[in-house]
Amino acid sequence: MQPKIEDIFNMIRINNFKSCILLLAVVFTFSFQTSAQPDGAQIYKANCTACHMIGGGRLVGPDLQGITEKRTKDWLKKWINSSSELIASGDADAIAIFEEYNKSVMTDFYFSDEDMAALLVYLENPPVEEVQVASAAGATEHDKGMSGSTQMMIVALVLLTLVFILTSVKNSLKESLGQETETVPETLKNQTELFLANNINKLFVGLFIMIVVLKFAFDAMMGVGVTTNYQPVQPIAFSHKIHAGDNSIDCNYCHTSARTSKHSAIPSANICMNCHASIVSGTTTGTTEIQKIYDAIGYDPETRTYIEGYEQKPIEWVKIHNLPDLAYFNHSQHVTVGQLECQECHGAIEEMDVVKQESELTMGWCIECHRETEVKMEGNDYYTQMHEKMKEKYAGEKITVDKMGGLECGKCHY
Amino acid sequence: MNKLLLKLAFISGVIFLSSCGGDSDPGYEFMPNMYRSPSLETYGENTITGLNALQPVEGTVARGHLSTFNYDGTLEGYLAAGNTAVNPIENNEKNLADGKALYGMFCEHCHGATGAGDGTINHAIYSAVPHYNDEKLNRRPGVPMNELEAGHIFHAITYGLNAMGPHATQINEDERWKITLYVQEELQNLGK
Repeated sequence: MQPKIEDIFNMIRINNFKSCILLLAVVFTFSFQTSAQPDGAQIYKANCTACHMIGGGRLVGPDLQGITEKRTKDWLKKWINSSSELIASGDADAIAIFEEYNKSVMTDFYFSDEDMAALLVYLENPPVEEVQVASAAGATEHDKGMSGSTQMMIVALVLLTLVFILTSVKNSLKESLGQETETVPETLKNQTELFLANNINKLFVGLFIMIVVLKFAFDAMMGVGVTTNYQPVQPIAFSHKIHAGDNSIDCNYCHTSARTSKHSAIPSANICMNCHASIVSGTTTGTTEIQKIYDAIGYDPETRTYIEGYEQKPIEWVKIHNLPDLAYFNHSQHVTVGQLECQECHGAIEEMDVVKQESELTMGWCIECHRETEVKMEGNDYYTQMHEKMKEKYAGEKITVDKMGGLECGKCHY
Repeated sequence: MNKLLLKLAFISGVIFLSSCGGDSDPGYEFMPNMYRSPSLETYGENTITGLNALQPVEGTVARGHLSTFNYDGTLEGYLAAGNTAVNPIENNEKNLADGKALYGMFCEHCHGATGAGDGTINHAIYSAVPHYNDEKLNRRPGVPMNELEAGHIFHAITYGLNAMGPHATQINEDERWKITLYVQEELQNLGK
């Protein structure tokens, strides 16, 4: 800012006042013009991208790469203003396009002359689209420093070298004094024998080993059937982080039946196709993962059509949250009636690239939540009658799930 | 005595090792035949039909789900729906609230909370979602967005339109009419 003002002052000093005013006027007109100039890119982005791409193949409508060479400006203007009028006028090209694209009608865009000119200029010289490839940005971060065990191993190695250096120093000292030397294993053996010669020491060592073994055995037994942190590789590298996190799509959009049924459904491929009929390339994996949906259902991303008579095959997702058959669980009971957020049991799914099981899903885990969770009865039709009775019975107390039978065996095991 | 100790140590060792299920391995179950009963699971497979998840038999209608919206997914169907379809849902507070909640689940990420087309989807293809209160550009039926009829909106949700896919499998008819009600009562009027 500073040098600019100085420049202007210099100019005033050097030139006469009139030319200075002229200069300012020119500057102002220019700046005014640039701000008022319609931006072709903006117009294109706001109106056209729902159906067209430039250089990316056909979407709802044709690819607009080189469209200004293919058609005259006059024809394009007419088509954009009202394609249906152009078709009705009997224009052969217009009718051919209408037929080719399944008779879908393009919206009429009555742009002003300037806007239309700007749009056509933009279409003539579209920006070169950056090819999105699976890059380092999307790859999982591997370099997160050393893991704990590596550090421990290095420490152990350092200590071991230290022991050997010290013994060799001790041995050379003893040698120079003319005393008997002993190697490291010999020292270790002698010391251990000396230590174990004492019966109380023997008892302590025995106890220690027993406790360690028992502890491991106990942990191992407790871990059987508990699959916390289970994070299998899925057939398609679907990222909840991108869909539910970055793009904030509601969980219910894909898992439609969580609100109304026992299961929170795995979305069928047609739900993927609501968006991926158009979006053929992902942000981190490019086309490889999305192509797997197309392979399963038979969709040609080039022509944007479903392949006739294609033998569809299911996408075999790996189930992560698995309750044993001896326990009954109902999603709608928790999602709709209990008004729980999905994240309360499943963790921060919207931050997971690969989903893993966050909760234990053990009976103790269920019971604990049922004991602590207060039932949200206000404004919930399901409880209208029950609420009054419960309020009478437990006046002033928290009404938790267990108060209305949430701990009865038969609620979940039958 | 020593042999017994050895046996115990061996057993505990086996248990210890076998329970070392990595993250990609769910580990072990106590009683697999109680965990996995012979009954068919929702997303499992069987030897007779293959998939357990089946589609309804063709030509059948689920009880209580007889459609009142008999227009096909063509341009003619779209225009006819706009002319003749009537929203059977009563315009009351509860239905509007339901419609708003459903709109939040199924529409908002593209169409935006106010219907201005400024949803949270950040892909370029979905950057041109039209405004519900737009009164300038004429759309398919020859009227701007804020004058679309209930039938147009319901048809678009059911069969999809342009880059929007068909949502009939996700939202049932009742819910679609509730969303239509909300869009017509609230969002289309925002600009007026």
